[in-house]
Amino acid sequence: MDVKDQLHALQEGKLSRRVFNTSLMAAGVGLLSTTLPTHRAGAQTSGKGTFFTYGGYDIPELFVPFQAKHGELPDLVPFGNADDALTRLRAGFVADVTHPCNSNLSRFVGQDLLQSVDTSRLSNWPDVMPELANLEGNTAPDGRPWLIPFDWGQTSITYRTDLFDLEGKEESLNMLWDPRYSGRIGVFASGAESWWIGAIKAGIPFSDIDTDAAFDAIAAVMREQRPLVRTYTDDTAALEQALASGELVAAMTWNSSAALLKSQGVPVAFANPKEGALTWVCGAAILKTAPNVDRAYDIIDSLLSVESGKFMIGSYGYGHSNRRSFEEFDDATLAGLGLSRNPAEVLMAGKFQTVVSQDWQNRMNETWEAVKAGF
Amino acid sequence: MTQTSSIDPKVTSRPTRTSGRIARLLYRNEGLRGYLLMSPTLIILTVGVIIPFLILLVISFWTRAGVGFDTTPSLANYARVVNEPMFGILLGRSFWMSGIATVATIAICYPMAYFVAFHVHRNKMFWLILITLPFWISYLLRVFAWRVILGYEGVINSSLVWLGWIKAPLEFLLYSPTAVIITLTHAWAAFAILPLYVSLEKIDKSLLVAATDLGDGPVARFFRITLPLSMPGVIAASFLIFIPTTGDYITPALLGGPDGMMIGNLIQAQFGSINNWPMGATLSIILMLWIAAVALAFLYLTRLAQARIA
Repeated sequence: MDVKDQLHALQEGKLSRRVFNTSLMAAGVGLLSTTLPTHRAGAQTSGKGTFFTYGGYDIPELFVPFQAKHGELPDLVPFGNADDALTRLRAGFVADVTHPCNSNLSRFVGQDLLQSVDTSRLSNWPDVMPELANLEGNTAPDGRPWLIPFDWGQTSITYRTDLFDLEGKEESLNMLWDPRYSGRIGVFASGAESWWIGAIKAGIPFSDIDTDAAFDAIAAVMREQRPLVRTYTDDTAALEQALASGELVAAMTWNSSAALLKSQGVPVAFANPKEGALTWVCGAAILKTAPNVDRAYDIIDSLLSVESGKFMIGSYGYGHSNRRSFEEFDDATLAGLGLSRNPAEVLMAGKFQTVVSQDWQNRMNETWEAVKAGF
Repeated sequence: MTQTSSIDPKVTSRPTRTSGRIARLLYRNEGLRGYLLMSPTLIILTVGVIIPFLILLVISFWTRAGVGFDTTPSLANYARVVNEPMFGILLGRSFWMSGIATVATIAICYPMAYFVAFHVHRNKMFWLILITLPFWISYLLRVFAWRVILGYEGVINSSLVWLGWIKAPLEFLLYSPTAVIITLTHAWAAFAILPLYVSLEKIDKSLLVAATDLGDGPVARFFRITLPLSMPGVIAASFLIFIPTTGDYITPALLGGPDGMMIGNLIQAQFGSINNWPMGATLSIILMLWIAAVALAFLYLTRLAQARIA
C-alpha cells in the first residue's frame, strides 16, 4: 500500500471504500497495539521480588543468600533520595521492599505505604541489635515493627588530610564553612542531610527544629555557606571523584565515601566533628502493595545476613544491624570508620534525626531550594 | 477537492446495501473523511498534549495541603510568582542563558550549513549525516561528556596546564552558567543545522548571479540576498533551540553549580522534594506563556526586519 497514492486518491475523491476502511483499520490496530504492552508492563512485576533502594545498594553483594535460595537476584531499582522514592511510590511504582530511614519513616507510614513485618519469618532477626530496632515511631498498631534496621552510619565530612589545614584545631563542622577553601567545598543537595547539618552548626537542638526561629537560624547559616560551595549534589560518586582530584578539599558525605577513597590510597579522613555528626539508621520495610510478600521476607533476610554485613562494614564503611557481622573487624578498624560494635555508643555520641511531619518536610525543602538558588 | 461530479461513474456507484448509513455519510462528507484519516494524529495529540495540559492548568489553580491538594480554585500560586522575586529572577536567568545558547548555536551552525549548501556539490547527504553524527549519541551522554571536557582535571584544563599556560585548573569552566551555555550550544546544534541547510539550499542561485552582475560584492550579496532569503531557516532554528532549552533540566542540574540553576530545576523540585505540585504546575504554565510571548515578539520583530529589507 502506497501512502502517497492513497492521499492522492482521497484528494481526487477516487479512494475506494474498501481501501479506505482497510487503512483506517490498520491505523486503529496500530494505535491499540502500541498502548497494550506498556500497559501490561506497568501493572505486573517479574515475580522475582523488587528492592527499591538508595543507589549503591543495588548490587549483588547484598543478595548472596537470596541468590543461593532462588538462583537469581531480585529486581534492584535505585532511587536518589527519600523524596524521589516517595514521589515515585505515590505515582504508582510497584515494589516489594523499600529502604526508609529513621528520619523519613513517619512519612512512609503517614502515607499508608507500608505493612508491618512479621519478625518470626526472618531467620536473622535474633542477631539484630535491638537498640537499632527500637526507634521512635517504629511500632505498628499490631505491635510489630514497620522497619527492620539494616544499615546505620553518619553524615559528616570527608576531607583531604594533605590539602585541608586544620591549623591544630579540632575537627568541626566549621570546616564546611571555612572561607579559606571557598569554591572547594561540596554539600549534599538533599535537605534531608544538609538542613540537619545546618541545624547542628547553628546550635539548634533537634527537639526545637520545628520552630520559626530554627528555620531562620538554619537558613541563615546555609546562606552563609552558599558562596563557598562548588556544587550541591546527591551523587556521591561525583563528590568522591572531586575529592580524589583535589577539586574539593572537604565535602559532606556518608561513611562510605571516606572508606572508598582510603581504600584507593587517597589521603582522606572521615571527620568526627566536635559538635557531633548526624547519625542515622536505615532499614528494610515491606510495601503495602507488595505483589511478592514471600520474596520480600527473603530480600530482608538476605540484607540482614552476616555476608551482607561484612560487605557493608568492610567495603562501604557503614554499620550493619547484625551483631555477628562485627566479629571479623578489630576495634581500631571500626573506630577509623566512625563505627563501633556497640552502636548505642555511636548513636548516643552523634545527633540522631528526630521524626518530622510532612508539613515540616515541605517547608524545609521549600526554604532549602530557595537557599540553594541564592535567595 | 470539491469537484466530486467529475468522478468516473463506475467508481462512484452509490453505496446502497450492507455498509449503509455510515458509508453514505463518509461518501458525502469530505470533511469527515479527512478527520477520520487524521484521527491517529488527533487521538495522540489529544491524549498526549491537550489532556495533560488541561490537567496542568487545573492543578495550577489548586493549593498544597500536606501530602495532598486543596482543590478549591485559587490564584495563590500565581500571586506568589508575582510577589516573590526568586521566580522572576530564575525565569529571567533561564531566558538569558538559553537566549545566548540560541544565538551561539546559530552563529556556529550557519557557516556549516552554508558550506554544505553552496560549496558541496556531491554526496550532500553524506556530509549532512557526518555533521549530525555526534547527535546520534544520547543527550545525557553528551552532557556527561562535557563534564569530562570542562572538568577540573578535564581535557581543557589538563592540556592548558600541560602547555604551561595556567598554573591551577580553571574553575569557572565547570559548575557555572558558562558550562551550561557551552553544553546547550553543542547539544542542540543538529536542530539548527538542518533547518538552516534546507532554507539555504532552496535559495535560487540565479539571484546571487544577478546580484553579482548588478555590482554587489560578496559581503553585500550575502546581506542583501542570502541572509534575508534564509531567514525562515534562522527563525525555525531559533524556535527549535530556544523553546526546549529554556525549560532544560538535566544540563543545569549536572553542570550548572549553585549559580547555573534554571527554572526547570525549580519546577522539578516543586514536583519532587518540595512536594508542591500545584506550584510546579503554575510555574510550568507561566514558563509556557512567557515562551509564547517571547516567540511571538521575536517573530514580529523578524517580520518587521524582513519587510524593511524588502
